[in-house]
Amino acid sequence: MRLLVRAVLLLGVLACRLPGRDELNLFAWSEYVPQKVIDGFTKETGIEVNYETFASNEEMISKLVAGRGDYDLIQPSDYAAEALIRANLLAPLDPALLPNRRNLDPAFRHLPHDPADRYTVPYMSGTVGIVVNSAVVHDPVAGYADVFQPRYAGRIVVLNDNREMVSWALASLGLPPNEITPATLERARPVIARWVRLVKVFDSDSPKTALLNGDVDLGVVWSGEAAILWKQDRKFHYVLPKEGAHEFVDVLAIPVGSTHQAAAHRFIDYVLRPEVSKLISDEFPYTNPNAGARKLLAPDQLANPASYPAGGKLETFRDIGRMASDVDRLVTDVKSSQ
Amino acid sequence: MPSRANLLDRCLGAWTAAVLVFLYAPIAVLVAYSFNASRLNILWEGFTLRWYAAVWHDAPLVRATENSLVVAGAVTALSVGLGTTGAWLLYRYRFRGAAAIRTLVAIPMVMPEILMGVSLLVFFTLARFPLGFATVIIGHVTFCIPFVLSAVQARLEGMDPALEEAALDLGATPLRAFWHVILPFLAPAIAAGALMAATLSLDELIVTFFTTSSASTTLPIRIFGMAKVGLNPMLNALSAVFIATAVLFQVLIGRIRRPAP
Amino acid sequence: MSGTGPRAGSLAWLLLLPLLAWLAVFVIAPAAILFVYAFCEHDELGRVVYRFTFDNFHRVGERVYLTIFIRSVGYAAVTTALCLAAGFPAAWYIARRPAALRHRLLLLVMIPFWTSFLIRTYAWMTILKQDGLLNSLLESTGFTRHPIELLYTPGAVTIGLVYAYLPFMILPIYASAEKLDASLVEAAHDLGAGPLRVFAAVIIPLTWPGIAAGTLLVFVPAIGMFAITDLMGGARIPLIGNVIQNQFFQARDWPFGAALGVVFLLLFAAAYVLLQRPKPAAA
Repeated sequence: MRLLVRAVLLLGVLACRLPGRDELNLFAWSEYVPQKVIDGFTKETGIEVNYETFASNEEMISKLVAGRGDYDLIQPSDYAAEALIRANLLAPLDPALLPNRRNLDPAFRHLPHDPADRYTVPYMSGTVGIVVNSAVVHDPVAGYADVFQPRYAGRIVVLNDNREMVSWALASLGLPPNEITPATLERARPVIARWVRLVKVFDSDSPKTALLNGDVDLGVVWSGEAAILWKQDRKFHYVLPKEGAHEFVDVLAIPVGSTHQAAAHRFIDYVLRPEVSKLISDEFPYTNPNAGARKLLAPDQLANPASYPAGGKLETFRDIGRMASDVDRLVTDVKSSQ
Repeated sequence: MPSRANLLDRCLGAWTAAVLVFLYAPIAVLVAYSFNASRLNILWEGFTLRWYAAVWHDAPLVRATENSLVVAGAVTALSVGLGTTGAWLLYRYRFRGAAAIRTLVAIPMVMPEILMGVSLLVFFTLARFPLGFATVIIGHVTFCIPFVLSAVQARLEGMDPALEEAALDLGATPLRAFWHVILPFLAPAIAAGALMAATLSLDELIVTFFTTSSASTTLPIRIFGMAKVGLNPMLNALSAVFIATAVLFQVLIGRIRRPAP
Repeated sequence: MSGTGPRAGSLAWLLLLPLLAWLAVFVIAPAAILFVYAFCEHDELGRVVYRFTFDNFHRVGERVYLTIFIRSVGYAAVTTALCLAAGFPAAWYIARRPAALRHRLLLLVMIPFWTSFLIRTYAWMTILKQDGLLNSLLESTGFTRHPIELLYTPGAVTIGLVYAYLPFMILPIYASAEKLDASLVEAAHDLGAGPLRVFAAVIIPLTWPGIAAGTLLVFVPAIGMFAITDLMGGARIPLIGNVIQNQFFQARDWPFGAALGVVFLLLFAAAYVLLQRPKPAAA
């Protein structure tokens, strides 16, 4: 009974929001904005940061459009940002409030999802590539065709992402990974059907687990996972598939419903400072698009082949809109009919 | 026959012990790994106590834990209240549409969490109800009620009606009969229901995701997000502390309830 | 037994009002929203577009989704059966202990589930992995020579599912068995009945409400469960829970997800109402 009373009182207290206090409602990936960065920002500006998290782009979009349209700052990936821009859900950025944008590497400007850089600012980047346990796998693995061979049956881990798999299948067929139409999907179907039979684990959250456990020997995973594996044990090699690799760029953007746009701009500009961006790289071994920050990184951070891979045919995802449903249907059907 | 009953009893005891071993196997592993020196929590790399220290210093983690406990407490209280009275009234009196009411109560139990989460968020948005503790608690209570109601109903089904009749014959009002006779009889079922409700609430993820604000972030949401960077042994330490506290608590209860020699 | 009492008066209706209000606002209203969504089309982001269509329901009937649904029901059924077999003896035993020990044993059963689901499941994976604890144990005691593949198999999935739902079978059976008068069982013994007859003719009927409740509380939620199968089974086999969740995430087709959910709920409601019909007069 007392617990109930206490809970109700707590509810009452929390429901009262102090008026006039400047705050920032941040909706970002879990474990992607270091606490140090947030604390530093609050100390300098006095703005409270309310950090809510999601674990996938789709979760973010779902919650954003189902009701919570009033976040101040969100962290979509490129294709998700493109979808939001097309749906007129992002507010244009004010360049005058973002002087630190000049710190960005030119390679990360005018990306396909936002050619005029009107709505988004790159945060961190990465790739999806092949990781190999070189202590067990001695033959060269350079592309998808090398991974999905019968001799590795039951020893492969891949991302549990239907769109990713379709793009790999298309790349292996020599088709552009973003050309997703009913015709290309039909061509991809037998490839995926063959591949799915060889895979032991589908995991988008922590594919490194299966690799570290020794339950699988190679796989197609996020570069961040591969970087963590490499830091743990150098036997885990990372290579970008020669048929073509997916490069993703996570960005910061402001939804139209935001009521603290000024604070949001300040946060973006804060994060664009080289020394702050370096803090992010220290915690998460992704590819830092901030040229100023890269100059501050330690040599072994830059040496991590998964964080800063060499060469490769890179392409970002474009938003496929309604075809997302067809992609899901295809892979579900293939997986279910094994 | 005493000896046969004894043998049966001992077999059942052994079975229960085996069940408990099964239930605690992963707990033993996670407690062991809470001392793992490796941050990645997948391979063992040496003994350390630093994760226990780290838990106290991770303010968001501690806050998430507090939030989870507050939510679980409120959810248990509300679902026990609504579930018990509902079960009793539906049992005791004939309501028109009782079958429909029972089915409606059970619906949240079968509705996949994503549907519940999205539809509640849409509903709260239409009603302009701000997200936070209230909405999280509402979501949890809605699917915990059927568990409590079910447990209490099962116990009522086997109840001797003479129990209440006797109380009424002795001059009690229906309310007093309920409070002093029925409720104590229902205690084991209520306890079972409360345990289920608390457990369900502590581990709920999807519905919470759609109905929470940053202020009411619960532990499961924090933990799930950590999988990407590798589940920190800090979480194991936190779980170990939880377990130790709960086990200590039930030992203390045992001490208090033991009648004086 | 239930619902055969006097007709509910206005006081009874008044007392039931909080629950009814709760149902109306937090169950009926959201369900109605889903119902409307199921008949709508969707846009690029997956959001609902208010144009009427039956397409979603047509899709629900496609072979691939029916197969997935039946498979999910199958997993749930096996899980329930195993939970019943493993949980009943334990629930019975606990119910017959002296009062103080009963409560402590119950708490002991529940405590493991106050840790995070993800941490628990990863702990199981540590036990079952290639060079994990179980394999090490088997090899060191000479049972096996090479590590056997335990993780990412249907066996691992079953272990995970039974583990997750066992308490929800034990608790209701306990609540029902606890009031069982020991003298009834003794009387049956004294009358010469063998243990099997006592079990079938006395114990089962008297604990039936608990068994039914436990079955309901395990089977029904288990149909929609997919997180455990994904983690312990490598997410190779899609279940209905995966499919529905995907529609709101990757597949960006909320109306179809809503339609799957509506069919799900209707099937359940129909079955549940049928089960509630009073049994023909028994003992």
